[in-house]
Amino acid sequence: MVAKTTIVRFTTACLFVCCFLFSEANLFAQREAVPTDEAIIKTGAGLFEEYACNTCHNVVGKKVGPALAGVYDRRELEWIYSWVKNSTLLIESGDAQAVGLYNEYNKLQMAAYDLSNDQILSIMAYVRNVEENPVVAAVDSAAGSDGAVAQVDGVPAQYLNIMVGVLVFVLVVIMIVLGLIISVLRKIAQDKGDLSDDDEAVINEKFSLSSFLRSPVVIGIITFLVIALAGKNVIDGLYTIGVQQGYAPEQPIAFSHKLHAGQYEIACQYCHTGVEIGKSANIPSVNICMNCHNFLKTDSPEIQKLYAAQESGQPIEWVRIHNLPDLAYFNHSQHVQVGEIECQTCHGEIQEMEVVAQHAPLTMGWCIDCHRNTDINSKGNGYYDKIVELHNKSSKTPLKVADIGGLECAKCHY
Amino acid sequence: MIHKIKAFVPLALVVLISACTAKGDNPGVEYAPQMYHSVPYEPLTQIVDEDRGEWLSNREDGKGEFYNSNPNNPYAQNVRIPVAGTVRRTSNNILPYRLEKDQLAEAALMENPFPASPEVQAEGKRLYTEYCQHCHGSDGKGQGKVGVVYAGVPSYSAPNKKDLPQGHIFHVITHGYNRMWPHASQISEDRRWKIARYVQQLQQQ
Repeated sequence: MVAKTTIVRFTTACLFVCCFLFSEANLFAQREAVPTDEAIIKTGAGLFEEYACNTCHNVVGKKVGPALAGVYDRRELEWIYSWVKNSTLLIESGDAQAVGLYNEYNKLQMAAYDLSNDQILSIMAYVRNVEENPVVAAVDSAAGSDGAVAQVDGVPAQYLNIMVGVLVFVLVVIMIVLGLIISVLRKIAQDKGDLSDDDEAVINEKFSLSSFLRSPVVIGIITFLVIALAGKNVIDGLYTIGVQQGYAPEQPIAFSHKLHAGQYEIACQYCHTGVEIGKSANIPSVNICMNCHNFLKTDSPEIQKLYAAQESGQPIEWVRIHNLPDLAYFNHSQHVQVGEIECQTCHGEIQEMEVVAQHAPLTMGWCIDCHRNTDINSKGNGYYDKIVELHNKSSKTPLKVADIGGLECAKCHY
Repeated sequence: MIHKIKAFVPLALVVLISACTAKGDNPGVEYAPQMYHSVPYEPLTQIVDEDRGEWLSNREDGKGEFYNSNPNNPYAQNVRIPVAGTVRRTSNNILPYRLEKDQLAEAALMENPFPASPEVQAEGKRLYTEYCQHCHGSDGKGQGKVGVVYAGVPSYSAPNKKDLPQGHIFHVITHGYNRMWPHASQISEDRRWKIARYVQQLQQQ
């Protein structure tokens, strides 16, 4: 009885050890099959670069696809070859590993690569080299960041401080010199002795603040200033009626133009798709946000609002900032596409705005002013040839928007 | 006493008037609001509140003067998504593209209706800068500022990409591919073909 259990235990243990040994041996065989030869590693590094493997794979750490380090431990070499050459074929053949990988990585397919087995092996040699000697890569990246840090400006600010300091110093010196001159002159006058009473009064005048403030001249000036300032404020305030310049409402999603248009340099037209082809620049719909945010910053509560909107189909109610009165017609494409006017001309430095505020007053005077001063870009546009010719006969100034009807009432009001 | 109150009149006037100025969430006061607000449906203005502007309303339906939304549409919007299969009137003689997302092989056989002329390529470059550059990079190597963060943006000149035909590029812009999402709603057909011509230039770099 005892002997029987011992035998069973022994055999199980043996099996375990065998399995372990076998798998270990297998692992080593896989890893050891990847060459460590300098020349092969170099070829692999070149291929890694040429085929831009790093767009989807890091050696260490997940990117779009899995980390490449240790792939030779996880998979058979033959399997890796057929995967790289045509992953779609492998998935379609129903290979369990391939299908599992495909599902794990959001059903993204790796492109097919026309590489030979030796080339794929050399890429793995490069990967193994980076994995086993990580210092090399670290030094490289450190060198890169050093270069970035070296670019520090701040010299203009220093110059400014020095200039202000020198100016203050000069002013102080002038004051001291003037004070000295006054005391010297007073002394000379007193020494002379034969002064009239009036002159004596001027020289020995004592300054009294209360009598100075009560003098009718000072009261008059202060009253005038207060009334003028109040009047100016009232008139300025009245002028802002119907002008929404500076309106910066809070939006339903804390979208930052500074981040998107400034830091990431996304062109305005990417989201405001109507600006070149229609009257309105358009407020982007959720699908445009989702072009990036299906993967980026998915945990942010602000981005979660996008997902909610996409799921329900309920549009996000952005608050409209530029409310041009209905009595005036304005067309974006006419100004942006034909007139080639920068967005920033009317909307200000949008790429620096965390919260967008209305930059331009959008008053008629503001429109007209620009129409009077802007030249027509007639280059390469046959439509304008005769108009320019006629205009040049009678005028010496270049053709302006005002000359082709930019001041006509019915151009905008109808 | 009255004397003292009078002294505050200009100050009160200043405070009162400054409330007319737009700032933050306050759009300011409108002059002649009946001329400011659109009577017909405005696509990008939607005022669902029926009482807005009731104080000056002379509308026949008894709603507020500023009410502007279409109750017959989903979410009372003033705009609707066009019916499926709608052909744009301004499609510049480009026929609607009817291939589905998985028909990439068929798409590769499509011919670009625009020639590889310098004008088309220049226009394509302009459009590429607006719609593609932030991910794919100005040189098409996938190193745009967004592309680096987004990851997985390939290089056009990579050995397995540099010979992809025009129809393939057009199809990918239209329907998306792997991590790239469809851009058909943003870029019209003729513009997509022009971008494909410029991408062709970048493939050869």
